[in-house]
Amino acid sequence: MTDMPDLRVAGVQAPRKDAREKVTGAARYTVDVDLPGMLHAKLLRSPVAHARLTRIDARAARDLPGVHAVLTRDDLGGLQPTYGYFIKDQPIVAMDKLRYVGDPIAAVAAQDEVTAVRALELITFEYEELDPVPDVASALRVGAVELFEDAPMGIVPAYGRGASAELRPRPNVCYRFAYETGEDDAFDHCDHVFEDDFVFGRQQHFHLEPFVTVAREENGQIEIWTSSQNPFPLRKELSRVFQHPENRIRVHVPYVGAGYGAKNNCKTEPIAILLARLSGRPVRFCMTNEENFLTQTQHAAKIRIKTGVMADGTFVARAGEILLDSGAYADASPLVAEKAGYRLHSLYKWRHVKTVCDCVMTNTSPAGPFRGFGGTQASWASESQIDMIARRLNIDPYDLRLKNLLALGDPYVPGESGMDSDIGEGLRLVADRIGYHGRIRTPGRGMGLSIGFKDSGGVNKPASARIKISTTGAIYLQCGSIEIGQGITTALSAITAEILNAPAERVHYPDVDTDHTPFDQGTNASSGIVVMGQAVARAANEVKARVLEFAAGQLDCDVSELTLDDWNIRRGNESHPLNLMIMRTYGGTGFEFTGEGYHKAEMDHEAPLETRCVAWEYGWGAAEVEVDEQTGLIKVLQLVVSGDAGRAINPAVCRGQDEGSAVMGLGGALFETMLYDGVTLANGNALTYRVPLATDLPENFVSILQEQGHGPGPFGSKGVGEGCMLPVASAIANAVEDAIGVRVTEMPLTPERVLAAIDARNST
Amino acid sequence: MTEQIELFVNDEEHFITVDTSEMLVDVLRDRLGLKGAKIGCDRGVCGACTVLVNGDPTASCSTFAWRVDGARIVTIEGLAGEEGALDPVQQAFFEAGALQCGYCTPGMILLAKSLLARNPHPDRAEITDWMGANICRCTGYKMIIDAVEIAAATGEGQ
Repeated sequence: MTDMPDLRVAGVQAPRKDAREKVTGAARYTVDVDLPGMLHAKLLRSPVAHARLTRIDARAARDLPGVHAVLTRDDLGGLQPTYGYFIKDQPIVAMDKLRYVGDPIAAVAAQDEVTAVRALELITFEYEELDPVPDVASALRVGAVELFEDAPMGIVPAYGRGASAELRPRPNVCYRFAYETGEDDAFDHCDHVFEDDFVFGRQQHFHLEPFVTVAREENGQIEIWTSSQNPFPLRKELSRVFQHPENRIRVHVPYVGAGYGAKNNCKTEPIAILLARLSGRPVRFCMTNEENFLTQTQHAAKIRIKTGVMADGTFVARAGEILLDSGAYADASPLVAEKAGYRLHSLYKWRHVKTVCDCVMTNTSPAGPFRGFGGTQASWASESQIDMIARRLNIDPYDLRLKNLLALGDPYVPGESGMDSDIGEGLRLVADRIGYHGRIRTPGRGMGLSIGFKDSGGVNKPASARIKISTTGAIYLQCGSIEIGQGITTALSAITAEILNAPAERVHYPDVDTDHTPFDQGTNASSGIVVMGQAVARAANEVKARVLEFAAGQLDCDVSELTLDDWNIRRGNESHPLNLMIMRTYGGTGFEFTGEGYHKAEMDHEAPLETRCVAWEYGWGAAEVEVDEQTGLIKVLQLVVSGDAGRAINPAVCRGQDEGSAVMGLGGALFETMLYDGVTLANGNALTYRVPLATDLPENFVSILQEQGHGPGPFGSKGVGEGCMLPVASAIANAVEDAIGVRVTEMPLTPERVLAAIDARNST
Repeated sequence: MTEQIELFVNDEEHFITVDTSEMLVDVLRDRLGLKGAKIGCDRGVCGACTVLVNGDPTASCSTFAWRVDGARIVTIEGLAGEEGALDPVQQAFFEAGALQCGYCTPGMILLAKSLLARNPHPDRAEITDWMGANICRCTGYKMIIDAVEIAAATGEGQ
């Protein structure tokens, strides 16, 4: 551990900045926004998975009293009506084809939701059904029907050393990412080469606040309140879709009732805006929880890994193929593919790595960003296989990991940044805590370990912040990080207060409003501390320098003689209240000091993703399970997870991130997945899609917050919030094999799959 | 069809004409401006809409307003005392940092209130069991259970 600076505000236990509003019910979310004359929108969705839309007639709906606007494909004139990240393939409402059960066909804005639903029933449409493509295997079958006959508009970004990508490399694959380093004859020199297949399930984010937008258009200005994680990229995309200047689109983001990745880019926004334009009235479009399932999901995946090792357990080479189920539209699939492909070989020393990740289109709900962002899929396969190899070589999985792990400072791959945690130290912590070493064997019980990781800070991601201080010392921290539950307003306010030597209560964090808030690329990729945190620290240092320079001028002395003490200037034993000094100079109307801060990792063509990873986010996990061989039921007796915050700006907030992500991982490990019966989602609601409850917590559930001190963020901090999700499923699968000698390679680890594995063992 | 009902919401009496299809959550949020109760799943599963009806935790999204005619209803807005002093359960959630996005928090706090009213000194297993009625997707529950333990220890419900 490195020496840490003494801190006064940051790094100490303090209440969350949003706690009072949230415990009193005063916190306001987009669902609470209520404008005068506001209409309510509802959506007609496709009943079929794959069809050509031949006719649509909405006249009767338009004539229904109380209906103010109806939106169909006939109302998209003058727009660029499709959106997406690298590939712009998703229409606001269906144009030529219907591509999944739930694909939007038409929307209505009416005086209330009941009238809107009645109007939808009056819309008639006809379609010619096409062969549905329910899953990855059928999508890749020779001669399979294509979801897109023509290539949608798309781009491949620049990649650096070893990385490459391709649009539409084969039918029904919208994007392929590949990464390679070292010589592939490395496999020829291995004592053993193991090849294993894994299947990853499909979680739904299940954010409790649904997708929701309130929109209005007045005097040529589009104004929205929306539950979004990335208002600035959203504004840019809306500007392109609506062919409307960015500075005439204003995005407000109140508190967000969570997202876990789902609330990036266009969701409810285009339809709400278009209905507001068509009706001339403000429109609220709030989806139901069921509609969330039809809007955004995690990527299911099939993963094959080939790993070459020496007899003594030395790792040599790793190659992998990942097939991501992207659903009906590309959405963020290309970005997820980058990260899944880039992370599959994991944090070990290899002489050769080669990975290909394909984004496969199917007639199911669109898959997009999900906490872990490809790292969850990669960690599941990689860390399961590490244990399988250990058993084949008769080496303890703990020892096999330690033997091959990258050391602190080792670059992840050539051209990449170095490891910024002692990974072995984290493994030792969780193993010791669970009692891994020297455990007494009990039939039916076992222990497993895993190390998940992802990069933190995004790729080539800029952030800017502004800090203003008024005459009376009121501090405004203006930056675009969205408070989505992760505690970013608490953390960034603490960093500001620490640098300005002020109490945290003096810092106000205004709601994000794209007309006034400096640019940020989005609240995602665990970037709040390592990217925005650095911009905020710079802004704080700049405004502090301005205040001190002003005071030095007033006191006719050198800046070095002065310090800022709350809102006073200290010079030796003298204390000068700043409010008085300011009014002496600027008069009784006062003044504001302003500081700006900016941060972005430098472009680097030697780095595979064009910038070196800002920080590495690790999640160490250890599980103890008891498996009932009669029922196949896994009982998790102990779950120990650990993350490294570098330096925790608020330890309780970090703990909450680690525990919350671990429990989300536990759900995905044991029972959470979207079940498709062919192309029909069978469990797309809160009654049938089971998420973890308090009663699902393992009896001994522990999170250990490490502060190893190597983060690039302020005071040595780095991002948390995703890491502890990553090791859970593989730690449990590894524990199951330790307990009863069977390997389950498909998530979630349901009793049926455990029983099938037991049957397979017994029949051999 | 409409019906005239009487509700005692946070100790205030309201006479309201409701449509018989109207849900309690909509009356609270849209008629009375009490936005603390949230709609999450809208199926009585997640508990973000939990309010106390005659002391019982109730999914207001799945309760017809006319069904609670004459009832005493407590929403999150009714807990804080004079000059904004937090109720002990609110205080415990505040101190323990037992919240993230906050969307489930009003429902969780009211659920905990109803537990402590019945059982002022629950053990951890009883707390876990009771709090298992509502969904929090952010926290992983442990800090929520901690908060209820703190509230119990400070004598809430006695």
